Amino acid sequence: MTAVLGVSAHYHDAAAALVIDGRIVAAQHEERLSRIKNDASLPKRAMDAVLRLGGISAGDLDAVVFYENPYAKLERVLVGTLRAFPRALRQFPRALGSQLGGKIWVMDALADALSIPRARIELVRHHQAHAASAVYCSPFERAAVMVVDAVGEEACTSLWHADAEGLRELTHIDYPHSLGLFYAAITAYLGFEVNDGEYKVMGLAAYGKPARREEMARLLKVASDGSYELGLDYFDRFTRTELGYGQKLIGLLGPARSPFERWDLTTERDRAYADIARSAQDALEDALIAIATEAKRRTGEDALCLAGGVALNAVANRRIAREAGFANVFVQPAAGDAGGALGAAILGALTRGSPRPAPLAGADLGVAVAGAPIATHARALGLIALPVVDVASAIADAIAAREIVACVQGRCEWGPRALGFRSILARADDVEMRERLNRAVKKREPFRPFAPVVLESDAAAWFAGGANAMTPFMTTVAEVLKPEALPAVTHVDGTARVQTVGPSTQLGAVLGHLKQRGDIPVILNTSLNGPGEPMVATATDALSFFVRHGVDRMFIDDVMLTRPA
Amino acid sequence: MSGLRRLGNRLQTIREVLGHFARSQSFVLIPLVLVLLAAGLLLVLTGGLAYVAPFVYALF
Repeated sequence: MTAVLGVSAHYHDAAAALVIDGRIVAAQHEERLSRIKNDASLPKRAMDAVLRLGGISAGDLDAVVFYENPYAKLERVLVGTLRAFPRALRQFPRALGSQLGGKIWVMDALADALSIPRARIELVRHHQAHAASAVYCSPFERAAVMVVDAVGEEACTSLWHADAEGLRELTHIDYPHSLGLFYAAITAYLGFEVNDGEYKVMGLAAYGKPARREEMARLLKVASDGSYELGLDYFDRFTRTELGYGQKLIGLLGPARSPFERWDLTTERDRAYADIARSAQDALEDALIAIATEAKRRTGEDALCLAGGVALNAVANRRIAREAGFANVFVQPAAGDAGGALGAAILGALTRGSPRPAPLAGADLGVAVAGAPIATHARALGLIALPVVDVASAIADAIAAREIVACVQGRCEWGPRALGFRSILARADDVEMRERLNRAVKKREPFRPFAPVVLESDAAAWFAGGANAMTPFMTTVAEVLKPEALPAVTHVDGTARVQTVGPSTQLGAVLGHLKQRGDIPVILNTSLNGPGEPMVATATDALSFFVRHGVDRMFIDDVMLTRPA
Repeated sequence: MSGLRRLGNRLQTIREVLGHFARSQSFVLIPLVLVLLAAGLLLVLTGGLAYVAPFVYALF
C-alpha cells in the first residue's frame, strides 16, 4: 500500500486530501469541521477525518506533502519588503513575524500533529500542486494546464504541459503582477470581503456596462502573447495590504464603496459601481483568454485544465471554453488553495510509483452522515424525525409542493460549490421560491443568482451547449434557453451556473421523479449554509442548521426532519 | 514526541531555510535571516506571537 496525505494551510482555505494506491480516497476542507469560514489554520481536523475515511492511521502514511515551499515564500516576502523600504517599514515586522512565527515551521508542525518522523514530510511548489490537482483529476491523458491565482511562492500565473511523460512548466509570471490580486483589489474597492466577495463582483458585473474599460486598461495591460502587467502605482501592497488598492486607484475610479451600505441597483451610484465590476470582469476575461490562447499555441493540445482561485470565475471559464481554441476545458471543483492539498497528495503518490488517479467522478469526498443517530437528538429538540424509504421520491414531492428542502446526503462536497450532498433545493420555475429562500436563509445581495441543476440528458434542452467537462462541478455558466420557465435561477444576463448530474446519482433520481410527475426537471440548488457560515458537513451541523434557519424540511441520510405544526 | 526530537526538527528547519537561501545565492540575506530565525525560534518555542493578526489579504 502507498498512502500519501496532501495538506494546504496558512493562507486561505486549509484542507487535507488522501491518496491510497493512486485512488483519491478523501478530501476535506478544514472550515467545514472547525466551523470557521475560510479557516486557514493547520487542518488537524481535516487530516484526522481523511485518515479515518481511508481506514488508516498517520503511522501508515508513506509521505505527507505540503502544497507549497515556505522557504521560497519567506524569500519573496523578505526581498519584497526590503526592496520597498522604507515604505514597507510598518509592514516588515508583521510580515516577517507571520512567516517566522509560524509559517516556515510548517513541516515541524505537521510532524508534531501527526506524530510521524519529520523526514516523511515533503514540499512541492504551489503552482505545481494546483496544476496537478487540475490535470490529474481531469478525464484528459494530455492537456495544457493554466494556473492563475493571487500568488504562490513567486508565481501568480503559470502555464504547464501534461502528457504521458509528466507535468512540465512552460512559463510563468511572477508577483506582483497578479490577476488574482487585481480582482481582489476591485473586490475590496467595491466593499466586499477579499477571498469571499469575488463571486459577488462576478454576479454584480452582469448588471453593469463596460463603461470603465479605459480605466481598467491602466490597471491591467495585456499583450497578445498572454503576458500582462499591473499598473502597480494603483495597487498599494505595502501600506494598505488589507485592501490592496491605493489612493491613485480612488483617483481613477472615484470613492470606494462602503461595505456597510445596502445595495440598490436602481440608484445611479450603485449602477456606476456595477459598471466598474463589469469592466473589471471584462478585463480579467480578456487577460485569461490571451493566456489560454498562448497555452494553445505552445502546446497544441485539445484540452485545457484550469486551477487557482481565478479558475473559480465561472463566467470567465465560459468565455475561455468558447474563444481560446480548446475543444474541452476542465476545472477541478476545489480550484482554489484547498485544491492544492489534493494536487500535493497526487504528486507524492505519482513519485512513489502509484498509478494516475481515475478522472474525478464526483465531488463527494468529505465526511459522511448517518441519519439514525441524529434522529434521537432531533426528537429531543422537539422536532419530528421520520425514517424514509425512498428519499429521492420524498425530496421530489417536497420540492413539487413548493417547499424549501435541505438535503444532507452521503459524503460532503470537495470545493466551494454545493453539488447535492449539502444543498438547499427548491423549484426553479417560481421566482417566489428565490425570494423566500433569500429571506429565510441566505440573505444574499439582490444581484447574486442561484444555480440550477439538471440531468445530463436534459441539459441541452434547457441550457445552451448542454453538459460538458465543467458542468458536473458547476464551474462554468451557460445561456438559459427558456429563461421565462426558470426565473428563480436565471441571472439578469440570461445565464446560469448550471450543474449536470447523471441518472444514477441521488440528485439525478430526484430530477427523474420530478420529470415523471410532469414537473420541470430543473431545480434550484444552493449551498447548505447561512450567511457567513461554512457549508454544513456533519449531521450535527445539519441539525443545528435546521433549528436556526427557516427551511421547510430536511433530509439527513434516510431521516426526514420537520417541525411540529 | 520528545522535546529533544522537537528541537531537532526545528534545527532541521533552520538548516533547510539557510540551504534555500544559499541555493538561491542570496548570501547577503543570510545574516539577516539568521537573526530573524533566532527570534522566530524563540517565538515558536515560547508559544508567543499572539499579536500577529491574520491578514485579510494573506500576501505574506
